[in-house]
Amino acid sequence: MSPQNVLEVSSLSKIFKSKSKSFTAVDNVSFGLKKGEILGLLGPNGAGKTTTIQMLLGILTPTSGSIKYFGQNLEEHRESILEQVNFSSTYTHLPWRLTVMETLKYTSYLYNIKDRAKRIQRIVDLFRLYPLVNQEIASLSAGQLTRLNIAKSFINYPKVLLLDEPTASLDPETADYIRKFILNERKEFEVSILFTSHNMPEVEEVCDRVIFINQGKIVAEDKPENLPKIIKFSKLELVMVDGLKRTIELCHHQKLNHQIKKRAIEIEIEEKNIAQLLNKLAKKGIRYDQISIKKPDLEDFFLEVVRHKS
Amino acid sequence: MKIHRIYAMVIRYWYYLKHSLDRMSDMFYWPTVDLLLWGLTSRFVQSQSTDVPNIILVIISGILFWIIVWRGQYEITVNFLEELWNKNLVNLFVSPLKIREWVVSVFIIGIIKMVLSLGFASTLAFFLYKTNIFSYGLYLIPFAASLILTGWAVGLLIAGIIMRYGTRLQTLAWTAIMMISPFSAVYYPISILPEWAQTVAKLVPSSYIFENGRSLIFKQTVNHEELLMSFLLNFIYLSLALIFFKQSFEKAKQQGLISIY
Repeated sequence: MSPQNVLEVSSLSKIFKSKSKSFTAVDNVSFGLKKGEILGLLGPNGAGKTTTIQMLLGILTPTSGSIKYFGQNLEEHRESILEQVNFSSTYTHLPWRLTVMETLKYTSYLYNIKDRAKRIQRIVDLFRLYPLVNQEIASLSAGQLTRLNIAKSFINYPKVLLLDEPTASLDPETADYIRKFILNERKEFEVSILFTSHNMPEVEEVCDRVIFINQGKIVAEDKPENLPKIIKFSKLELVMVDGLKRTIELCHHQKLNHQIKKRAIEIEIEEKNIAQLLNKLAKKGIRYDQISIKKPDLEDFFLEVVRHKS
Repeated sequence: MKIHRIYAMVIRYWYYLKHSLDRMSDMFYWPTVDLLLWGLTSRFVQSQSTDVPNIILVIISGILFWIIVWRGQYEITVNFLEELWNKNLVNLFVSPLKIREWVVSVFIIGIIKMVLSLGFASTLAFFLYKTNIFSYGLYLIPFAASLILTGWAVGLLIAGIIMRYGTRLQTLAWTAIMMISPFSAVYYPISILPEWAQTVAKLVPSSYIFENGRSLIFKQTVNHEELLMSFLLNFIYLSLALIFFKQSFEKAKQQGLISIY
């Protein structure tokens, strides 16, 4: 185990077996999470992200492999590890008849928070829960519930936090606030965070490193800004004035993928060949009044990985 | 085991009780209905015949003692179901909470609610029928202890079954305990049961308590060997139920059911 890693996952697998069939949800996955690092765990639905997180939380028994937090095996030191770890998911429910304050209170006892009253007050302030404290969970909106879920996950001053799509049901302003809060917690307390999201700009903003998982396997791992560089093609968009048909013919001739969007055409092309293509269009008298070049981003990489694998 | 985590779960269920009219009412409503219905029936029977002395005390004691068994079982299964209905198991078990701490917490909340429910029902019985459950003296303590152990054993067994096979079997939470009630001989002596049922009754720990309760009323004696047998059977059943519940939890963890529940 690397001395910097607070979490080390080695050869983790999960096979679900029923009488007639078996299904490998996670296949020999290994990775580490460094102190103060925010690691994105990305992949399409059913890729194995949630199964991995469940195993990391000890609520799903792995078929094989090991999970170590702070150099200790999760299975053997579950209690001391989980006191320093927490979890939040947009899709987790809470006891709907309890009030917000009651939920925070009983949770604070689960984690034996010493400065209980002060900590709860701080959490209430930080997550703007004050107007909701006496409200029953059943009466909260999806966004308020998500906020409470995230708030609850910070109650024990976690050293490792597993966040499963934490901002999925939040309005843009609250989501931005939560992202800034997470970044600040990392900066101030060196909290290590494993973060899943389908919001790629969010992942680019928040994560130091990302792991792509597909069909239970890790298919790529790098900094979010490096992964799109693997894709050779940029997207050239031209809003046509005249010559759309001839442009399409040229794309066919040069075997360039393209899409028609009303008056515009979006062409997938290597950046070094753009000038040459524009030159040819000019020679043919094709006219356009707007041009934009979009370099590949994390979302393009995501789509590329998923399409390639499927 | 950590006391703060057990306390966390006790207050979690206490908060829930505070907000649940249905859970509050079943602590007081059903005992009241039973006491009115069966108390008045036994008063009527006694007014018709003097051959059955103390019938009111026998019936009312049966009702009050059955509350103990039922409370013990009900608190385990219904609180477990409550976590399933709320999909809250995942929140509990991503924390350091251990399954045995959860079990102890529902034992404690069961005792608290049993004391409240029984206290209310005994007061009501005293005012309505001049029947005093404390006339059993110190025997009340081992009787109550044995009966709640029976309730816990059945409760853990049912919770384990629901954990393995899902909420489609949740009706067991309300019905399973009734299966042992005819063999417990709550209101009648074991001797009136058919022979095969008497054999079954010998394997039901609560039957020894109800039998000795009546013996204390009619003959002012208690068979200590039978009392011991009741505890011995409870010890065996509760141990097996705990093992079964723990195994069901491990199985649920293997199948990924904790996050689904």
